[in-house]
Amino acid sequence: MRYAIVVLGGPYSHQASHSGLRFAKALIARGHQLEAVFFYHDGVYNAARLAAPPQDEPHLVDGWVELHRQHNVRLDVCIAASLRRGLLDEGEAQRHGKQGHSVEAPFELTGLGQLIDLGLSCDRLVTFAP
Amino acid sequence: MQLHTLNRSPLVSNVWRQALTAMSGDDRLLLIEDGVQGALAPQVGRFADIRGRLFALREDLEARGLLERCAEGIQIIDVDGFVDLTAEADKVIGWY
Amino acid sequence: MTDNVATGGDVLVILRHGPHGGSLLREGLDTALVAAAFGKRVSLLFMGEGAAALVSGQTAGALGQKGTHATLAMLEMYDIETLLVEAEALEGLGLVMADAEMDVQPVSAAEVADQVAAHALVMTF
Repeated sequence: MRYAIVVLGGPYSHQASHSGLRFAKALIARGHQLEAVFFYHDGVYNAARLAAPPQDEPHLVDGWVELHRQHNVRLDVCIAASLRRGLLDEGEAQRHGKQGHSVEAPFELTGLGQLIDLGLSCDRLVTFAP
Repeated sequence: MQLHTLNRSPLVSNVWRQALTAMSGDDRLLLIEDGVQGALAPQVGRFADIRGRLFALREDLEARGLLERCAEGIQIIDVDGFVDLTAEADKVIGWY
Repeated sequence: MTDNVATGGDVLVILRHGPHGGSLLREGLDTALVAAAFGKRVSLLFMGEGAAALVSGQTAGALGQKGTHATLAMLEMYDIETLLVEAEALEGLGLVMADAEMDVQPVSAAEVADQVAAHALVMTF
């Protein structure tokens, strides 16, 4: 089956992203396909490229990147939610006259239409929230 | 048949009521994260109406030291079981 | 299925949070609006604290936060025809239909379950 996952919780503050990443790995190991993870609300913080948790704690941002690299899972981040929370890729940083950027590939800033599309085209949509 | 997930403790939030309201037919409810506190004996009565259709995620119970304290009649499943529940359902609805 | 409530649809967005206290109400409404803009049949259900979103006379926040009342006014323009509110939620806030900002249909608990079952995609905010 084709799955999509929605993550509404930020890494560390809530268990949502931990649960989401565990579930993502498990569904793939079980033979299903994970089309994309859509990050919305505080979930956009999972795209923070400067996250630097202690070495002995899970690195959620890296975990999502690894999921993309190993299994080609798309990482879609709601652009409106991101901008409000200071998560800008290079393009948006330039557009807004900011020095530096906080989001990079494979995370892609995208619109809510992507969420609707995933929800209606995938077989299952599973949400992890704060 | 739909799968509902609940991640808040009934001691903290009454979203569990809303999840039950939204359930119909032979829908199932899976307690995850802090929601597993609902599996404890003093709390599980809230879910009496869905006896036999209530599940709890093992790793969340374990992490919280609650695995041995789970009430009778709740089906404890691991993350693989969670995946299977989602595949068996028509759709999955999250309550938080 | 009940007869007096439009049933079936593509997307049911359940709004469980009130205005101003957090962003989930706004984010849920934005999701519903985008779905409608993409031509999907969208139903909105205000549940629990979400009924507070319907109170008439809301304003911007003290720091200029926009709130959601202006967005709610756009729902009709966006062809979101099915607007439902959990009857019990209105009572819990001491509201009657006349307090509501717009035309919403109160539904019973049983009807909530029917609506959830009748839509292909259900998202809660």
